[in-house]
Amino acid sequence: MIKIQHVYKRYHTIHALEDLSLEIPQGAIYGLIGPNGAGKTTLLRILGALISPTVGQVWFDNKEVTRSPTAIQHKVGYMPDFFGVYPDLTTEEYLEFYAGIHGISRSKRASVVRDLLELVDLTPKRDAAVEDLSRGMKQRLCLARALIHDPEILLLDEPAAGLDPRARMEFRELLRTLQGMGKTIVISSHILLELAEMCSDIAIIRAGQLVIAGDVEHVTHSLGGGQRVEVRVLERATDARQLLKEMPEISNVMDGSNDGEVIQAEYMGDDRTLHNILAALMAHDVPVISFAPRRAADRLEEVYMSITEGVSSI
Amino acid sequence: MTFAALLSKELRSRLRRERFVWVVIAYLLIMALLGFGFLQRENAFNGGYQVYLLSQIGAQLYALFSFVELFLIIFIAPAFTSTAINGEKERQTFDLLLCSKLSAFSLLAGKLIAGLANVLLLIAASIPLFSLVFFFGGVAPAQVLSTLVVFVMTALLAGTFSLFCSTVLRRPTISTAVAYAFSVLWMFSYWIVYFLVGNSLLITSRWFIWVQWLNASNPITAVNSTVSSGISSFSLYRLHLAPWVAYTLVCLVVSIILFLLSTLFVRPNSLDRFQSWLRNLSKKSEPAKVMKG
Repeated sequence: MIKIQHVYKRYHTIHALEDLSLEIPQGAIYGLIGPNGAGKTTLLRILGALISPTVGQVWFDNKEVTRSPTAIQHKVGYMPDFFGVYPDLTTEEYLEFYAGIHGISRSKRASVVRDLLELVDLTPKRDAAVEDLSRGMKQRLCLARALIHDPEILLLDEPAAGLDPRARMEFRELLRTLQGMGKTIVISSHILLELAEMCSDIAIIRAGQLVIAGDVEHVTHSLGGGQRVEVRVLERATDARQLLKEMPEISNVMDGSNDGEVIQAEYMGDDRTLHNILAALMAHDVPVISFAPRRAADRLEEVYMSITEGVSSI
Repeated sequence: MTFAALLSKELRSRLRRERFVWVVIAYLLIMALLGFGFLQRENAFNGGYQVYLLSQIGAQLYALFSFVELFLIIFIAPAFTSTAINGEKERQTFDLLLCSKLSAFSLLAGKLIAGLANVLLLIAASIPLFSLVFFFGGVAPAQVLSTLVVFVMTALLAGTFSLFCSTVLRRPTISTAVAYAFSVLWMFSYWIVYFLVGNSLLITSRWFIWVQWLNASNPITAVNSTVSSGISSFSLYRLHLAPWVAYTLVCLVVSIILFLLSTLFVRPNSLDRFQSWLRNLSKKSEPAKVMKG
């Protein structure tokens, strides 16, 4: 368990973090969301004991990060938002170097490197120069580097930035594998859908302050009202809209498209409620073409856009 | 173990660069061409090599090689270490080193030794050229050894100063410029002071000890003492030392101080921590002043 308590970080006149408190459960994939300059990287660097908070404390289990930064650094694997590679080395030499500076004995180094190359699917590229790798391969190599000392916690800063959809999907699968190995993973990203699908919990940060934290469902419900269902009808849209408005479980009805054939309804309840809404529409002979509950993950982007409105993301 | 890993990686990546091969070739070519030019000039001037002049030619050739090598070392050593730390920061690999078990001492020692190893390789590569002087005679093996010690000490001090610059200065270009400016000042410091202050003031007793120190830390004086019998010894306080020995001691002490300062400043926010430490120190001393008042 990682506890962040009332953390402030100031760089001269810039307030990077302001009274930020957060709890990250063990074994979670935890997403940090926020526009550029929100303080995500600063928070990850504090968690990695690379910088100290101006005020406040960060606890890893029962250890305070600023008091024992070296002990914490040995538990943490940090992957910054840049590659940070040595172009003159081969993939294998690169990992062997990091294994060496993490104190892995010479006899174990080769097997550790071999296993990691296999995990990130870079075994065929073991003798390739690092500079010749593609962006996705470099990203996987950097993940392998972060894992070289078998850390309990992985801090990943924008890990999927610049990756094509296939590489992104492979990367996501890799993170799931790592979660299965019992690692706690903290990720900052702009790709919200990806975070929503991958993370068990998320925290939204704006201008150094925590807006909200919790599981994806909780965050979208708290900030975006109730759950939402999208109904597309062939005709009689006005009747359908009126019918939905009269239902007690529906709190709000909106137009989902300009032609009025798509209706969005916010409801409070579970799958049974959804079934009742659909049944009511069918009972009144409304020609429903599609009836699509919007997942929390899909709605996260709308929530994010609304709460970061007016915040510069240069 | 962490130190060995860093050293191995540094050597591997430095020696793999094509630039290093060209540096060695250029270095040996400069030395060889100057030596060849000198021998041609002597040959033309004396109408062939006279047997009774051979040892003199050998000594002169040795002096020429030694000074050329000294200048080359002074101008090459900073290139290998002046971007060692801020270069890592610029490449954005410094954080990754900090996250490892690498201590500040190991990090700097690895960088320094790897940088010096390049310079030592250049010195080693020039040994066959240096050995030419033994065909002529006029140079004792002890002289060669003392010159080698001066070369190594020069590389050490130039290397540690450049490393210090790369630790405290953020931009590699600035640290390189400062390291080269220091090298020039260091080499010509004695003559610069002589030019600015004047001979009469330098030999007054008040300034004499400082002039002696300045001279003792001068690489040209040190090499000169190994190739000729110009200056027999320095008197530094109660010690009477041969110039190259005095130079070796000065270089060792200054290098150790610079290295320790680098280990102090290499960690992030070290300058801030140092300033707050100074502030705390001044706060602690304030009540004492009040008490005295």
